[in-house]
Amino acid sequence: MSRRLRSRFGPLAVITWLYILWSLVPVLIAIRISFNSGRSRSAFQSLSLRWYYDDPTSVWKNDELRHAMLNSLRLAGLCMLLAVPLGVMLAIGLQRWRGRTSRAANTLMLVPLVTPEIVIGVALFLVFTQVYTGVPRGFTTMLLGHVTFSVSYVVVIVRARLISIGFQFEEAARDLGATRLQALRMVLLPQLGPAIFAALMVTFATSIDDFVISSFLSTGVGTETVPIKIYSTGRASSTPNVNALATVMLTVTMLAIASTAVVLRRWRRHGNDDAHIVGVSI
Amino acid sequence: MPGSRRRFLAQSIGFGTMFAAGVPLLGACGGDSASGKRVTKAIKDGLSPEAGPLRVFNFADYVNPDVVAKFEEQYGVKVEITTFDVDAEAISKLASGAVEVDVHHSCAPATLSRLIDGGLLQPLNPSYLTNRGNVLSAFDDPWYDPGSTYTVPYTVYSSGIGYRADRIDPAEIEERGWDIIWDARFKGVTSILDDYREGISLALLRRGITDINTTDVDLIEQASADLQELVDLVNVKVNITGYTDVPEGATTLAHTWSGDMLAGAASYLPEGTDASVLGWWFPKDSKGPVGNDCMAVTSNASNPVLAHLYINFLLDAAIAEENWYWNGYLPPIEGLDAAYLVGQGLTPPNLESAVLTDDIIKNGLTYRPLDLETDQVWEAAWSRFTAG
Amino acid sequence: MVPLHGRLSTRLWAGLATPGTVWLVALFVVPVYAILAVAFGNIDPILRTTAPEWNPLLWDFGPFRMILDRILDPDDLGAVFIRTGLFALAALAGCCLIGYPVAYFVARTAHRSRGLLLALLVLPFWISYLMRMLAWVNLLQTDGYINRLLGWLQLPSNRNWLDGDWPTVVIGLVYGYVPFFILPLYAALERLDVRWLEAARDLGATPVWTFLRVTLPLSIPGLLAASVIVVLPMCGDYFTNSYLTGGSPRTEMVGNQIEQFLRGSSQPQSGASLVIILMLLLVVLMAYYLVTIARSQREASA
Repeated sequence: MSRRLRSRFGPLAVITWLYILWSLVPVLIAIRISFNSGRSRSAFQSLSLRWYYDDPTSVWKNDELRHAMLNSLRLAGLCMLLAVPLGVMLAIGLQRWRGRTSRAANTLMLVPLVTPEIVIGVALFLVFTQVYTGVPRGFTTMLLGHVTFSVSYVVVIVRARLISIGFQFEEAARDLGATRLQALRMVLLPQLGPAIFAALMVTFATSIDDFVISSFLSTGVGTETVPIKIYSTGRASSTPNVNALATVMLTVTMLAIASTAVVLRRWRRHGNDDAHIVGVSI
Repeated sequence: MPGSRRRFLAQSIGFGTMFAAGVPLLGACGGDSASGKRVTKAIKDGLSPEAGPLRVFNFADYVNPDVVAKFEEQYGVKVEITTFDVDAEAISKLASGAVEVDVHHSCAPATLSRLIDGGLLQPLNPSYLTNRGNVLSAFDDPWYDPGSTYTVPYTVYSSGIGYRADRIDPAEIEERGWDIIWDARFKGVTSILDDYREGISLALLRRGITDINTTDVDLIEQASADLQELVDLVNVKVNITGYTDVPEGATTLAHTWSGDMLAGAASYLPEGTDASVLGWWFPKDSKGPVGNDCMAVTSNASNPVLAHLYINFLLDAAIAEENWYWNGYLPPIEGLDAAYLVGQGLTPPNLESAVLTDDIIKNGLTYRPLDLETDQVWEAAWSRFTAG
Repeated sequence: MVPLHGRLSTRLWAGLATPGTVWLVALFVVPVYAILAVAFGNIDPILRTTAPEWNPLLWDFGPFRMILDRILDPDDLGAVFIRTGLFALAALAGCCLIGYPVAYFVARTAHRSRGLLLALLVLPFWISYLMRMLAWVNLLQTDGYINRLLGWLQLPSNRNWLDGDWPTVVIGLVYGYVPFFILPLYAALERLDVRWLEAARDLGATPVWTFLRVTLPLSIPGLLAASVIVVLPMCGDYFTNSYLTGGSPRTEMVGNQIEQFLRGSSQPQSGASLVIILMLLLVVLMAYYLVTIARSQREASA
């Protein structure tokens, strides 16, 4: 009994809670400043929605900020729609396909995960300006870049679930007369539901958060995303409008995650720990 | 197993052949090299303006947003401004197609020939530029653009030292000149321009070397070593934000452009601070860098008529004055000279020296193009400094 | 039982995997090759932009060797690489000091309370990295809360944190990357077999001894994996330090130099060469990370 109390309030617990505070409180402060009625970014005066709505430099009124927000959302949405099907197919195919080419493809899929982002950013920038010059520069190239690094995350997430599902359901379906494709469609895919959902959310979040690759492929003001905007106005901007922008995106992401959590909880099978999905996907 | 080794070998050879075959394909995929010919044909006369949006390529905070808004209203189009930090970045982005714009708002004369010879700019059609006559005659046939075929000057400025007059005695700066940047008393509040030509020139000028286009490797290396001293001596910052940093007090001594101080005085002082806290120094004998940025229309502009109209709009005397008041950089317009601007009280008296006189324009040092090897030496010297 | 694997089925599975594989080849392998082609290629003489050389037989290694020489010179680019390595190691040390206790605590907590803690630990992932840096910059302003806190604690409180000092950058890196360190470490610590600890306790060992001689050694693979996961991105990072400083050469990292060369110098080959050298230096870490993921996947499917 005393040991449990000791561990709950012991030094490790203190460190952990201090860390959590250190990790989250600055963000809360930044959010609070976004509601600042004054122009200061470090001292809070009073509550106001000025930087969201009223002020001409606010998120709603300022064209550049609004465009950045819309660009981020459109990119993330389209990235989800492209990367997840590609990744799911790749995951299923890689898991079942035997042979040396399969192992090579598997390694190829893993390499983007371990490559530093600046390398991928430079590589994509060079390839779109030197090789695939026909591709419309800007939104399209950014989308292609986002999908490229997202596919690997999707594969890793889906594969974890594939492994725990195993083959028995599909084989049972085949025994009952279904073709492989039918077994895939009607048995495997529904079972992959939670993983596909998690993959959608992770793709959405990583695309919204992406900075390096987006900034290498962006062509200017019309194709900026929120992280680029935060970065470029971060030190120069003397108002909290960029805080407001970040808060809006944060809210969108949080809503998406919350909805996933609710859906996943309903679908949860025994032993499917969300943290492992996230942990593996890193 | 021997069989698998043979199969592996076969696979590698197969892969290698596929690869070798694919390589020429990659080469073919690449777009045409941008070192195409000069563009010599301008657009035709009498065309009507396009619908826009007009895409403009410029330094950040270099054109008055109110002026842009007036243009938008007058022609019923939207203007999108894409920014760059350094001239070299602008060229590289235009050349690689990473950025697609209609107007290059700030071409530097030293690198203009690259843009022209590389086919990135198109000649201007004078019929759209009705305000062309407003430009100072000194710029009718400049060395960098014979016959003013491709460009129109946008601003004239000098590179000097902007400072907080409330933290350092102006007399001291007058006496020490460029060397003040190397003063350890201003640790943490000193900045120099993030431009390799300007930075190396600063070190050269400090030593009394006025050839800012030197090809002497030893001098350049010495300049680089001098700059490297700054890193530990004064924690030097390298940026182009002097126009906000000095008024806001984050920087006391800034190696920056003349317009920055005037813009700072006009638009970036915090509430309650008076323009008298700002100061500007430039060599009395005018032996300091003087530059001018030019406007041009890109060769692949999708709104060339609008581009011409925009350039023309900025050449209007009243608009140019309004623009000047906001960004501080002198437009080379007839009548908008130091006498007028100071006489009208548009310049704080302590910053009069930041307005360029005819004398400075005539006698100042200009940046000329460097050949490839020299350029690489300059760049390497600069990167040795920024590497810390 | 009808098998799922056979020659017919192989075509199905290979077919499913093809679109993704083709995508990765076209948009990952070819781009990486493009880096090589630019690094060993030429420049357009007029515009001073890159003219990549696709045929390996015609590659020109001159600029690459020049950059390599500059890197080997500790006064020149070598300083940047050394500094990047030191920053990464310092930040890694910070992550270990902060992250290990936290991961250990959460792994050892009773299952019921763990949910909340895990949720709070996972939360930073969903918060944009730049927003967290923005939050940190807000705090570090000269009139921000950090200086105010220091003043309240009677410590010197008017330091300009955003000046270009390495502590700011290292702390920034720690703040940014420590969530990525904690979660994998937590996963590894959680998998530790409790029976080892119980056995040690049964044999009369003190908790400290158990930790030092049993837990710590067993957690080393997890520590290594978590370390690699954070060190890799840190080495290529260029935005954290330039966001937190005013463009100071004293905190310049390899990523900044790469960006500077590629942004439009007359030597794009140098930028591409730097990228290649960075990759070569990190290849050991990358390979280790790859092997770990592959192994964990194989173990899971066994």
